[in-house]
Amino acid sequence: MSTIHLRKLAKKFGNFTALKSMDLDIADGEFMAILGPSGCGKSTTMNMIAGLEEPTSGSIHFGARDMAGVPMGRRNVGFVFQNYAIFTHMTVRQNLAYGPTMQRMPVADVKTKVEEMASFLQLTELLDRKADKLSVNILQRVAIGRSAILKPAIFLLDEPLSNVDAAFRAVMRTELKQLQRQFRQTMVYVTHDQLEAMTMADRIAVMDHGVLQQVGTPLEIYNNPANIFVASFIGSPGMNLLKGKPVESKEGLRVDLGPVGATPVLPPALASRLRQSNGDVWYGFRPENINVEKKSRGLTLPVTFMERIGARTIVHLGEDLSTKAVFDNDTPVDAGGSLSFSVLPEHLLLFDGKSGIRIEAEAVHG
Amino acid sequence: MAEIAFRNVCKHYGKISALDDVSFTVKDNEFFCLFGPPLSGKTTILRILLGLETPDSGEVLIDGNPANGISPGDRNIAMVFQNLALFPHMTARDNVAFPLVERNMTASEIEKRLRDVAVKLHITHIMHKPPGQLSGGERQRVAIARALVRDPVACLMDDPISALDARLRESTRVELKRIQRDLGRTLIYVTHDQEEAMSVADRMAILVDGKIQQIGTPDAVYRKPTNVAVARLLGSPAINLLPMKRSDRTWQLADGGLVLPANGASSAANSIGIRPEDLKVAHWNNKLKGKPATVFQVEPLGGTTVLTIRSGETQLKALLRGQPDFKPNMQVSLSCDPKSAHYFGDSGEALQ
Repeated sequence: MSTIHLRKLAKKFGNFTALKSMDLDIADGEFMAILGPSGCGKSTTMNMIAGLEEPTSGSIHFGARDMAGVPMGRRNVGFVFQNYAIFTHMTVRQNLAYGPTMQRMPVADVKTKVEEMASFLQLTELLDRKADKLSVNILQRVAIGRSAILKPAIFLLDEPLSNVDAAFRAVMRTELKQLQRQFRQTMVYVTHDQLEAMTMADRIAVMDHGVLQQVGTPLEIYNNPANIFVASFIGSPGMNLLKGKPVESKEGLRVDLGPVGATPVLPPALASRLRQSNGDVWYGFRPENINVEKKSRGLTLPVTFMERIGARTIVHLGEDLSTKAVFDNDTPVDAGGSLSFSVLPEHLLLFDGKSGIRIEAEAVHG
Repeated sequence: MAEIAFRNVCKHYGKISALDDVSFTVKDNEFFCLFGPPLSGKTTILRILLGLETPDSGEVLIDGNPANGISPGDRNIAMVFQNLALFPHMTARDNVAFPLVERNMTASEIEKRLRDVAVKLHITHIMHKPPGQLSGGERQRVAIARALVRDPVACLMDDPISALDARLRESTRVELKRIQRDLGRTLIYVTHDQEEAMSVADRMAILVDGKIQQIGTPDAVYRKPTNVAVARLLGSPAINLLPMKRSDRTWQLADGGLVLPANGASSAANSIGIRPEDLKVAHWNNKLKGKPATVFQVEPLGGTTVLTIRSGETQLKALLRGQPDFKPNMQVSLSCDPKSAHYFGDSGEALQ
């Protein structure tokens, strides 16, 4: 079995806590992305799974087997780094054949395997080229092939696409996903790019400051973020968060967002939940879920900046550019003016002003 | 600040043609982007502009004056590199002051310039720190401050934000654009990232194999690509390029999964391009005419969903808004507004 189980896993470097008590279960054949900004502890976690680092406390199991003290070479994991580790004096063929040959696989089998893998990764034409004559893009593909050819039960990838160019990254996202579908190994993929995690992963583990924030499918995390960190880290751009005070009005509870305006009346289930707590809230909504309203109706922010990017336009709102709206290419909004908008109740999320934790609507009974 | 022009510039390295008859004009205070795949000639243009390389033929003009004979040091063009090249043992302040000290500027003049540039780039509060204590975005701003402090005629940036985290890249590119607007500089920016290029550029030049394919605003280039190469380089997912098969008065595309009327300019077309956002996808039902296609892969991105669809031997991508209810192996029907399609001739040129 190639399930992975992390229990209370922690790592300290001197006084610095890189990872704080992490629990995570990765299913057999699952593509799990570990996502977070630089320094969130994702690579430390990966290195401990690989056996490159010893945990300070906690445990790692592959299936039922405790990995404590098991060296990397005995863990049956494949590892691909950001900086492809390729023997540059060898040909692509020799690089791909390296692992199987070391495992004393019969020569004829090695040849078949190498050719299979080369064909899968579109390297067939390049098999007899020296690695030092190849582009970074191709080298990363060779590095992936060299690990994948051993069919490891667990495949670990640490930001394998950060050094390749943007266009190639899109191609590789599709290929990696197909590779994993075909070979069905358990895949753990570390990245800071939410797009990579969203497009490839079965589930995503979002991390920040050494703490696991949330685990779920891409859509669970996008639709139901646990806190403001996850809400703003997922999405392109991330979720808008405006701070305000709940205020009672004749019609019901609203959120006073200061100069931006007061929100429409909150849905009853959210309002009743909010009345039980005190203090400020974050009013959260996705940039793509903004409804344009007629002038001076709804919430209003100045349009400070526009980015037209092919199929879509990102409109930056407010002096600090912190709020964004995403429209299709032709949506007419003018820079220098202001945008009045509203958010549909089903697109609205509230978060506690202090803790940043999601305030869920109260379950409606009866 | 200055206008910068290339006139019929050619450059060979041995037998390899790095630049082939390159001409463009960057207007005063313009944010001009050189965009193309790796090795398309972008960096060669920067090196020629800086005076580090000499063109085999053609001219470089700075404010109308030929620059060919002028040494790199006398061109007063600033450069921000991908790795920023800040001195790690100096504070941000000393890094920014460095080019001024090198020029033997008076202490009071240096002081004044440092103050101005720090305010403009919002780095006043971090000027006392060494680069090691700054975030990626802050280091970026310090590097830009160092480039701009000596008041160059133009500032060149070679892929300056590609080393940053994805999220930071999105905010930094907007920041760069704001800085450039506030400071009013001629800025030439090199990138291989189409989204970044379209985001920052007032106008962009698309380079392939040392040749400029098209120059225009991001919007114009995206909407009216001059050839197949440009169409493919812009947009994510990339444009669907489908070979044409004519049958009576219609184009049968994607092995019959998509049918368009054949009329007007399109009759001479050899292939047709449909952007993923222009491909309409609907659930199949038996009342529909034509042939169903099959959903192969669904990538839910939250705000949008990318479908990979197979029709016969053809694979297409569709970019849909929101989280529509499509699953792998579902049968779907494809359609497209003929006006949103791009038609290309035998040699890949766009037909009007």
